[in-house]
Amino acid sequence: MDKVAFSSWNGKIIDNRKGKASKALKSAGVNFPELPGKADALMGWNGLVVMNPKADVVSLTLNYLKEARKISCGECSVCMIGIDKIIDMFELMTEGLGDQGALAEIERIANEVSANAKCAFGQSALFPVSDAVKYYKKDFLDVIKGGRKIDAAGYRSAVTAPCIEACPASLDIPGYIELIKNRRFAESLNLIREKCILPGVVGRVCTHPCEQACVRNYIDEPLSIRLLKRAAADFDLQEGGGSLGGPRTAKKENVAVIGSGPAGLAAAYNLRVMGYGVTIFETFPQAGGMAAVGIPGYRLPADILSHEIDLIKRMGVELKLNTKMETLDVDRLKKEGYDAVFLAVGAHKGNPMGARGEDAGCEGFVDGVEFLRDINLGKKIEPKKKVLIIGGGNVALDCARSCVRLGFKDVEIVYRRSRAEMPAREEEIEGAEAEGVKIMYLTAPLEIVASEGRLECLGCVKMKLGKPDESGRKRPVPVKGSEHTIEADMVICAIGQSPELPVVKAKKKLSTTPWGTVEVDAVTYKTSVEGVFAGGDCVTGPATLIEALNAGNEVAKSIDAYLQNAKPEKGISFKGVEVGKHRGDAFVGKKAAGKVDLLDSKKRIKSFSEVEGAFAAADAMKEAQRCLRCYRVVVWQ
Amino acid sequence: MIDIVINGRKVKAKEGTTILENARELRLDIPTLCYHEDLSPFGACRLCAVEVKVNGTWHVATSCNTVVEKGMEIKTDTDQVRESRKLAAELLYYKYPDTEAVREIAEKLGVDVYDEKGEDHDCILCGLCVRTCREIVGVSALTFLDRGPGRDLDEPKIDFNPTTCIGCGSCAYICPTGFVKMEAEDDKRIIWNKVFKMVPCEECGRYFAPEDQLRYISRTTGVPFEKLTTCVSCR
Repeated sequence: MDKVAFSSWNGKIIDNRKGKASKALKSAGVNFPELPGKADALMGWNGLVVMNPKADVVSLTLNYLKEARKISCGECSVCMIGIDKIIDMFELMTEGLGDQGALAEIERIANEVSANAKCAFGQSALFPVSDAVKYYKKDFLDVIKGGRKIDAAGYRSAVTAPCIEACPASLDIPGYIELIKNRRFAESLNLIREKCILPGVVGRVCTHPCEQACVRNYIDEPLSIRLLKRAAADFDLQEGGGSLGGPRTAKKENVAVIGSGPAGLAAAYNLRVMGYGVTIFETFPQAGGMAAVGIPGYRLPADILSHEIDLIKRMGVELKLNTKMETLDVDRLKKEGYDAVFLAVGAHKGNPMGARGEDAGCEGFVDGVEFLRDINLGKKIEPKKKVLIIGGGNVALDCARSCVRLGFKDVEIVYRRSRAEMPAREEEIEGAEAEGVKIMYLTAPLEIVASEGRLECLGCVKMKLGKPDESGRKRPVPVKGSEHTIEADMVICAIGQSPELPVVKAKKKLSTTPWGTVEVDAVTYKTSVEGVFAGGDCVTGPATLIEALNAGNEVAKSIDAYLQNAKPEKGISFKGVEVGKHRGDAFVGKKAAGKVDLLDSKKRIKSFSEVEGAFAAADAMKEAQRCLRCYRVVVWQ
Repeated sequence: MIDIVINGRKVKAKEGTTILENARELRLDIPTLCYHEDLSPFGACRLCAVEVKVNGTWHVATSCNTVVEKGMEIKTDTDQVRESRKLAAELLYYKYPDTEAVREIAEKLGVDVYDEKGEDHDCILCGLCVRTCREIVGVSALTFLDRGPGRDLDEPKIDFNPTTCIGCGSCAYICPTGFVKMEAEDDKRIIWNKVFKMVPCEECGRYFAPEDQLRYISRTTGVPFEKLTTCVSCR
């Protein structure tokens, strides 16, 4: 669908009703939500879009108002009551009461609510109603004259928000924040868990793209969404940590989940809720995947993760640790009673850096993820004098900050580009620098120099930045004649990871990509092997925790559809739509974001104690009050 | 101190103060329903609307929860301000036509109010009781119930938690419409349908406070319960 009869989307009026040739919206520079299937018209926070000239705009408007009323919080005096009054005026119109004056009154209410509502929902929701009354006046007058009936059936609706759109797992962020604002922490946590079964973990380590999308960025600073999620999880734990409840029904089918990382855990939880029997097979002696063996304790204390895994286990999910699946025999798993398999083995194998001597296996040259895993699994590591860490991502930063805590005297990161290109989170880089980690920019490794099997030094070359590459970052180019060596007792390579996939024994071969990841259908997560699904880092390559967790959520739905022979329903898509912007320019006062204390940098380098402090209940509620509740409603017919 | 301009008048304002606080200092009449100077601002009634100039254009803003900024220009008495306040009052009156506090303020702001005297005592969701309970009393027995996607609540309302309420009656005292009722009956006090046992004063025998409240005070201050059983007049 791309031809339109009328559009007021983004406040840009396109009116093709009077015989003019209809024009595609996209070519007119307007992006509006993409609907699943054919539709006559849609009404959303940003306007009215009519595809079929015969569409019933009056009924659409009433249905939109009814959906908007459900989302209005009712806290301020104008938004919900304003909507109520307009809906009541519709009722009167159908009874033949009202005239042009009534339509002017609807516009007046809509305009005043937009100017004076408390939150961004009320400030944005009624623009399309004004549009409808203004540009489809005749249709409304027809209703008053009795020539047109209002129809309530056949409408669908969707709700989103800028933060929800930015979140890989689409958490109802304004919803759980509002519950915190109203001191309903337990309910908030339940709402979070509907889409994020590791709230304490995600509340600590998430890269929070939601905060980048927060509308407060245009006003002052974004909400501390991640810390609010953490608060909901922490308060629950302080009260003893309630259970997740049991499965909703019982089903006869069983699912094998290979890997207990965020993807595996999320899928296991969701499948268990649906009533399936679930067994997770985990290679390592600890469950949690990268969250357990890849993230150091000072960012994520082990007991937070183990508590959240315990809750999933208590629902009846079976967890088999120390069970390495080198061969995945699909037929055998079927015989053992597993009707579907979810491959979620992550990406735990460090990538080679392409330096001479790195394969020689000399003492003192180690892989970053392996190093972090050893620390997390309790292996004793003797601190050395000088350690170099190669790489600029979060794993490199985790290694460096762990080395400081282990007692290494001199910790230096070697990165081939400049700080601006560093993929690690800014707070990680700042944290490392505060702890005394040095960073050598524009330097690339050339050679691991060893003698008698022991590391001696790192051969390096200076780099300069050239033109941007495919990733958009400036490509580093070696500076001729700048080769030099840096002495070190240890070199840690942390430049990326790849999955270590099991050998799959099945009728068809498991399709993989040139990067060594599993190839899956983008919607169903199905692999080339019947009954085998894959998701998380082993499909995407190293990505964020919340992306892996969302893959687990989605795979659970897909496996359910597969086992029940159902077709998953397609939803509306807001891709390309500027959900963060709305019409009008209502005022929002500035309020600084709440902050938490960090452990003093002198104290924190002495142990793996958690660095970041938490919100107290009153602070969390105060921060939650800053939420602008930017819910967006769309209704279509 | 920072310079701000209210209705064309240059005035000094303390940093961190709100527009409403400064306007009231200047004895400017700004109507409010949900505001109380001892509580955090809530911004729900929208009656305290003023106009504020931001980047060259005038915007409607609620004065109770907008903190003044250096050089801020504010107008408290424009056609737009009157229109915004009137619509807020009109809608409140539309929803709660028989609640006296609403009728009074609506009439004052130019809404046509019917002559019949109102008999209702509706909850108008001003949040004064919720904030008093949380910020002054410190028990949070009253909270708002949330509406929104997937939350099946037709009308917004306030939720009462009988296990944390101490029966102090502050909510009834602050309620502007009489929705929160407190009844006294010899040794009993009834509030939000919960019955509290009252304690008689050791000196005069008058029932002066609920036992739960005295126990709460004892717990939070460390003063033994036995030392709290004398009323204020006899102390």
